[in-house]
Amino acid sequence: MRALVAVAIGLAPVLLFVLLVSLVDLPPDGPTSPKPLLTADPGPKK
Amino acid sequence: MRRRASLVLLALAVCCAAMAPTLRWYAFPRLAKIPPNQYQETVLEARPATLLNYSTLKAEKVEKITIIQTLKGNVEESKRIERDAGRDVVVWDALAYVTGPDGKMVSKIPERYIFDAHTQDPVNATGETVDGDPVRREGIEFKWPFLTEKRDYQYFDAQTRTSAPIHYKGTQTFRGLEVYYFEQTVPWTKVPMPKAMPVKGITPQVLADSGLTRWYTTKRMFWVEPVTGAPVNGEEIHREELRNAKALMGQDTITVFEGHVKMRGDYVDSIVEMVGSNRLMVMMLVSYMPWSLTVLALALLALAFWLEARSRRPAAPPAGSPPPGPVTAPV
Repeated sequence: MRALVAVAIGLAPVLLFVLLVSLVDLPPDGPTSPKPLLTADPGPKK
Repeated sequence: MRRRASLVLLALAVCCAAMAPTLRWYAFPRLAKIPPNQYQETVLEARPATLLNYSTLKAEKVEKITIIQTLKGNVEESKRIERDAGRDVVVWDALAYVTGPDGKMVSKIPERYIFDAHTQDPVNATGETVDGDPVRREGIEFKWPFLTEKRDYQYFDAQTRTSAPIHYKGTQTFRGLEVYYFEQTVPWTKVPMPKAMPVKGITPQVLADSGLTRWYTTKRMFWVEPVTGAPVNGEEIHREELRNAKALMGQDTITVFEGHVKMRGDYVDSIVEMVGSNRLMVMMLVSYMPWSLTVLALALLALAFWLEARSRRPAAPPAGSPPPGPVTAPV
């Protein structure tokens, strides 16, 4: 019986993690970049 | 006390054992996604190249041509399409802007590419276009899926507006990264005139009315980092011709563009650096953490059993008690 309780306690954080991943939008969406589609060479990449 | 410790260890072992597959098969498809607001520019060059001079109507060797390719995630459109698609969708508004050695426009091809944020499968929705023409993509474009496999993929060609296999040709090492090399050859194919022409007054309709046709062939090469599916290098041996041009240009076939296009070194460096850090995050989800948790779960389970077994042994006699005396048989 004690072993079953230990197994249930061990599974609880995993179930919480599954719930978190399914409910929270990860990674969060950001806004569309204000930068334009380029029509000139932007120069050397830093 | 030992019994309580063994139960705690058992709970921890179960937690680790359950978390390992959860990370790999539940969290990975939901967390490893292309962000919908990604913005990325890449510069490619062909040095030297052959380019049609529209004022002399002759193909000329030029020092270089530059292709500036921008990918911009359209968050509002992706949210709109997600509502119907029921999955995470990325909408890339892309522009391939080609300039001659003087920096003036040679051609520009805008595209809208809609795809699944995790699998990179195309999502066929309204607004999917190439140069203003509606298209229906089959196969990938620009990027391979996470955990790319050693097999051929369908790759969409924006010039022909069709998809064809891009072949896996082997594994190589590129700047310290293990990459898969893919190659596709598009045979000479008649393709539409671009909507934007480099000379004012010449429109696609004018060229079409004169009977000119545009033909194109390319050998496309990509070096793809397989964990992220990101191409870390790309090259194209690209040729374009105008055919049936005798009436207008004096000869039947005229080269519009010919060159070996390569990603510029500074952009290759930048992409390799970006891929290196993204690769680590993906590896954490699909390999490092699941395997570490599995090993930890086994170790904790073994320790829990060992403590449990020890707690069940009969207690040793207390130290200092007199040894039992000799046993004599009753007389």
